[in-house]
Amino acid sequence: MLILTRKLGEQITIGDDITITLLEIKGVQVKLGIKAPKSISIHRQEIYERIRKENLNSSEVSASDLSEATSIFHINRSKDK
Amino acid sequence: MKIKTTRFGTITIEEEKIITMPFGMLGFPDVKRFVMLQHKEDSPFFWYQSVDDPMLAFVIMSPFLFKPDYNVDIENVLKEMSWNEEEKQNTLELYVVVNIPKGAPDKMTANLIGPILINNKIHQAVQMVISDSPYTHKFPLVREN
Repeated sequence: MLILTRKLGEQITIGDDITITLLEIKGVQVKLGIKAPKSISIHRQEIYERIRKENLNSSEVSASDLSEATSIFHINRSKDK
Repeated sequence: MKIKTTRFGTITIEEEKIITMPFGMLGFPDVKRFVMLQHKEDSPFFWYQSVDDPMLAFVIMSPFLFKPDYNVDIENVLKEMSWNEEEKQNTLELYVVVNIPKGAPDKMTANLIGPILINNKIHQAVQMVISDSPYTHKFPLVREN
């Protein structure tokens, strides 16, 4: 991993069209500004990871579990009425 | 056209039913074409089946069936996708990814922070990433009584 030291307001460039600016330092938190082409997706890592995992798990759902889930969903909803 | 699936065998779909995801699903960036197959008549669930990978299908459903007040801001996504804003009322649909732990369908959950926004007019979709929201990635679909 490349490690760089930066001061407040300083930037890092990645490739030709990505710029990261150190905007604010407050205790253990730093605020970053990121400029990149819209084709590049930028996410908080933990959020990205949660969604990726849910996708992966969803792709492993079995047809029999889904059939049972359908009945359970209908029964559960009818209880609400 | 005919597509191969491991769950349903070879099925015939109308080409206009194919939904293209320019960025794929998170974790599956190379799989870009999907088709929605209703699980069963009367079922709230759909298989979101890959057209190109027979093995790959996600389970999705409308979030409004269990959370009518679900609300996400789509303005940025419309811009990112260069989708026409005027038509959004009629052409956009929102789905969420459903997860059912093996053998425990009563523990099924829906991911409210990674909804799929489908533009039916141009047959495109994008998986959104919702940060800074009150929503969870494991919203229980069965309420405990």
